[in-house]
Amino acid sequence: MIVDPAVDLADVQGNILRGYKKRLVRHLVLKVNDAAAARRWLVEATSGDAALAPQVTTTANEEPPTCLNVGMTYAGLDALRVAPDQLATFPQEFIDGMAARAVKLGDTGPSDPCHWKPEWRDPEQVHLVVSIHADVRDRRDETADRVLGAGGSRAFVELARLDGERRSDGVVHFGYKDNIAQPHFDNIRNPTDRPDMQPLVEVGAVLLGYKTPVEDVRWEVPEPREDLGFNGSFGAFRVLEQQVDEFERFLSASADLMMNSPLAYQSLPPKAEDGWDPPLSRHEALRELVAAKILGRWRNGVPLVLSPTSPTPDPRVGTNDLNNFDFTTDPDGLSCPMGSHIRRCNPRSARIVQRNTNHSRRIVRRGMPYGPLYDPNHPDDGVERGLLGVFICASLVAQFESIQYDWMNLGLQDPRITGTNDPVVGNNDPKFSSFKMPAGSSSIELRGFPRFVHTKGGAYLFLPSIRALRYLGSIHH
Amino acid sequence: MTQVVTTATSKVNQILEWFLIQFWKCRAPVTTPGSVWKTAPADNLQQCMNLVMPLSDKSGVGRAMAAKAVASNVDEIFTGLSNVGTVHFARFDLIGANLCMFSVYDGDFASYIRDFISVFGSVFDALMLLVEDPPQLPSELHPESFIEWIRMHDAFQIPGEVTLLFPEEPDIANLPRDVILLLEQNRNVQLGRYSAYPGLSAAQIRLATGVDW
Repeated sequence: MIVDPAVDLADVQGNILRGYKKRLVRHLVLKVNDAAAARRWLVEATSGDAALAPQVTTTANEEPPTCLNVGMTYAGLDALRVAPDQLATFPQEFIDGMAARAVKLGDTGPSDPCHWKPEWRDPEQVHLVVSIHADVRDRRDETADRVLGAGGSRAFVELARLDGERRSDGVVHFGYKDNIAQPHFDNIRNPTDRPDMQPLVEVGAVLLGYKTPVEDVRWEVPEPREDLGFNGSFGAFRVLEQQVDEFERFLSASADLMMNSPLAYQSLPPKAEDGWDPPLSRHEALRELVAAKILGRWRNGVPLVLSPTSPTPDPRVGTNDLNNFDFTTDPDGLSCPMGSHIRRCNPRSARIVQRNTNHSRRIVRRGMPYGPLYDPNHPDDGVERGLLGVFICASLVAQFESIQYDWMNLGLQDPRITGTNDPVVGNNDPKFSSFKMPAGSSSIELRGFPRFVHTKGGAYLFLPSIRALRYLGSIHH
Repeated sequence: MTQVVTTATSKVNQILEWFLIQFWKCRAPVTTPGSVWKTAPADNLQQCMNLVMPLSDKSGVGRAMAAKAVASNVDEIFTGLSNVGTVHFARFDLIGANLCMFSVYDGDFASYIRDFISVFGSVFDALMLLVEDPPQLPSELHPESFIEWIRMHDAFQIPGEVTLLFPEEPDIANLPRDVILLLEQNRNVQLGRYSAYPGLSAAQIRLATGVDW
């Protein structure tokens, strides 16, 4: 990586500025049982001596075989005995916690915190989330055992262990190739970064203490600034259950509808599907078109803006170009609808109502599927599957919550979608749900679809710097 | 003589009421509800802000200084509000010894205030120099504190309809204790609001009427 000399990468936890390429993850949801032992574990885990404890991974070096990172809730900081006057310097949304912000986040109905998994239902009990990434199960398990064994056995009570596994093709349960777009940070280059036609993002979008993407605005840093807040970050940890059978049924029903709609020819010209690789039937192609329209990309990752009528255009869109587009070339959403998921989450340079916020809400997404693969031959198998997601930013209220509330669940950014929710992950109710696909001078409207993603748990986490972890370990009372 | 007795009785009643309210507050403190978010998207659209900022100089001179501060920045403020994009109406009023800003906007309160910090925070900072106990300035470097200060000076809004405050009181003369305590704690209260076009954003109105959004 080429690095801004102003950022001490050895002080920044390793999963913030870069994503691990590991196949497996285990998130340990922990309650502090003995504050002194927990603090001692933090000291050992940042000591540089792996014989004492598995070490917290930083951004300084190449990715080690096993990566370990730590996030803490407000209750966790309190359990570690952070002084009340220091706790009070944390932002209000973090103090409130994710469950208390449920209505704002759209976590209502089946996603209401009262329906969350048992380990998340009492937010006061959730203190730490320790995340372990590895390619090999034995390594992951061994590291988890070491966190929970020895000193850890007194320090923590394990509330849950959540395992995720990345598919080799990078596809998640709804069948989309994921993890294509991430912010490119100013002065921090990753060789895997693809061109994305977007301005570089200030590192202050994810790290506390730097210039932020909001012009002239700096987020307040929790005190003591140098010891605790600086180089820290925040993460919204979400357990997102995906209703794949409902999703696939919706695609089929929508294709049924479009088979009889002359407007569908505006979006997918007759016989266009014959040129796909492989060719599909008209109905199958319309299913894929709807899947693409609601997300903004074909399921193989090709963006609609670059290829509006085929997932396999000629010439092909190369892997390096999957993110090389902007919505300014599609002002009326004829290729990529304004209400599609990727356009709602990041409008890029397209015209939006809140004119100064186009690039100010960029966040980092780290996600890994959990649960078995969906087998279309055995729908409604009753097995839970979904995504373990961590959405990382420097201000949860200004970035994560604003995206979730203003854009995904209100559609405030464009008057043509205001009052509708994100079709893929939004808080949809079949009585009111609506998604419009502009077609020619008109549009095809899909209605009556349910919520496909249910929140099953989560917490707002503070992701301290290495120095802050040592500071937390050294608190004396 | 009758007038004197009536006045005295009224004063005694007020004193007794004051003691009663203090007693109630000790027995059952009322906490002011925070932001109210609704589950239906349309209900989250139009929001009101009734910002009441007590002037530090409450004399005619202080009020004149506040009027001048608004006058000298009004173009920048209105341009800024237009650029925020989510504002239906906003107006500045002097009410008593308070400088007030009343506005109707779309979406989340924190996003709204943050947007106007980034669009014309420096102008608003100038107004803050004239009010009592101002927030930490400049607002760009203390956005969270500034937003919290604005929230504290925004009039309390009754969640739902004002009639919900009196659910079981057919006789309005019987005032519920909770309501008295709530209004004792919150001096400035929005009791209700009306919209001629509920569920429509400022940008949707602009689009529908041919005004550039």
